[in-house]
Amino acid sequence: MKWRNRGKPFAVILTILLLLFLLFPFFVMLSTMLKSAQEVYQTPPAWLPKKPQFVNLVRLWKEFDFGVFFKSSLIIAFGTTILNTLVTVPAAYAVARLRFIGRKAILYLFLVIQMFSPLIVLISLFKTMAALKLLDTYLGLVLANTVFTIAFTIWMMNGYFRSIPMEIEEAALIDGCTRVQTITRIMIPIAVPGLVTTMIYSFIAAWNEFLFGLTFIQSRQRMPLVLSLYNFVGRWTTQWELLNAAAFVALIPVLVLFYIIERRLVAGLAGGAIKA
Amino acid sequence: MAELAESIVPLRQRLWNSEARLAYLLLAPAVVVLLAFMFYPIVYVFLIAFSKTNRISQLKGFVGFKNFISLFKDKEFWQITARSLYWTVIAVAVKTLLGMIIALLLNVKFAGRRIARMLFIIPWASAVPISAILWRWVYHPDYGLLNATLKAGHVWSHPPVWLGYPLPAFIACIWVDIWIGIPFMALVFLAGMQAISEDQYESAYLDGVSWWQKFFYITLPGIRHLVLIATLLSCLWTFNDFNVIFILTRGGPAGATDILITKLYLSAFEFQKFSPASAMAVVTFFILTALSVLYARIYFRQEQT
Repeated sequence: MKWRNRGKPFAVILTILLLLFLLFPFFVMLSTMLKSAQEVYQTPPAWLPKKPQFVNLVRLWKEFDFGVFFKSSLIIAFGTTILNTLVTVPAAYAVARLRFIGRKAILYLFLVIQMFSPLIVLISLFKTMAALKLLDTYLGLVLANTVFTIAFTIWMMNGYFRSIPMEIEEAALIDGCTRVQTITRIMIPIAVPGLVTTMIYSFIAAWNEFLFGLTFIQSRQRMPLVLSLYNFVGRWTTQWELLNAAAFVALIPVLVLFYIIERRLVAGLAGGAIKA
Repeated sequence: MAELAESIVPLRQRLWNSEARLAYLLLAPAVVVLLAFMFYPIVYVFLIAFSKTNRISQLKGFVGFKNFISLFKDKEFWQITARSLYWTVIAVAVKTLLGMIIALLLNVKFAGRRIARMLFIIPWASAVPISAILWRWVYHPDYGLLNATLKAGHVWSHPPVWLGYPLPAFIACIWVDIWIGIPFMALVFLAGMQAISEDQYESAYLDGVSWWQKFFYITLPGIRHLVLIATLLSCLWTFNDFNVIFILTRGGPAGATDILITKLYLSAFEFQKFSPASAMAVVTFFILTALSVLYARIYFRQEQT
């Protein structure tokens, strides 16, 4: 295979160069969080810290109240995951397996609204939240996050339910299971990989969410992590070494989770042409 | 057969049999949250757009198309709409191009390509607001490593204050959006390329075609459909990319990086101009719906084949 072998060293070199180029901000993040404050604010800045030190990762919890924001984000993300799952699983089963009028229309609708930006409703959603006394609460954020994730998770879960052979479910129905029993005892256990995917997806979406937090949350102790990082930049003396350390810790959970679902996520977004 | 049976069964029974009832019950929670927190707010935004509002967004009477007319007479609105469009077109084009290059690289069987693939994903896997903050630090005029590197490498002795001037700020913002969007493109294209059978390449090789011919006559037609769906999806994400612009520049300097959604946020929540903001939201709603419907149609067509 001439063009393949000749191209290989070229491909490797180009890959490495592109990776160095594209991962530069993460290199900067790691380098900055290992620097001392003095080193961060010297000109010209150095690429690497002279003496790497991990003190910023510790200072974070004391000086930046990292624990408070981390806890808020965990509550919001877990809350969103739970609510999202409770809403998604029954709905996805219904569109995947039951025959009723409007099934196709509903599926189509989910696919369309999945792409809606929260910004088109934000003005009136703010009013709705105010009327329900949900501003500045965890529940308000959990609800908003759920609303803007369920269309996609129902759509993905529908795909998983549909990939389970009909025969399995029919056998259970013939054996005397009720519909609800077949869902809880047969379908959900088989669809666990799909369930994990949608749960991780909603967790990540809530963890990364910025706009609702920015608009709905006022008090510091309920501020999600991502928003607290942004507010930290706004201050006139931004301590970038702390901020980069905080960014690093905040990114770890989402990166780990993302790798678990990455292939299924791509398949879900791009449709049937890709096998997960 | 099934369709025939369906048409014989009376409508009432099809709407209200035990299976349909269970379906409605199972769908109820999803429908209720969507009605309360998505559809009702959409309707209400339309209502605000056709009304006068005070500074705390209370409705003060119906005014018809007045908000839209003054919006369409505003030169700035057209500037921002045009910018939203070329922001989207440029960003998606560059993402597609770079995504294609990366997919082609990862499709070459070299040792370590699995690791390379994992590393390429990071900008997509990272939280968008955090990425934007990291870039803000990279772009920092005094302590940022981008300008320091450009100077030290003698690439550019006087690099601009990236986020401080209109054109550099626009380039800086659009690059971050592009940078986030590349991995998805690359992954979709790669998955498509891996589904093309080796045999096609083998016979092409035997026929002695060049690399470019191989790409244009086998690879590209093989992933044509995926390119379409991925670029559409990317258009929607790019058009909706509030976080990057808001965190990097808040639409500044002097509105040079404002696109529709950042402008509408600022008019509503910074300047309390709720009616013009809602009119903008309505315009955005129609653009997004058009793109989404297109995406859904192509997605469905592909599901059925």
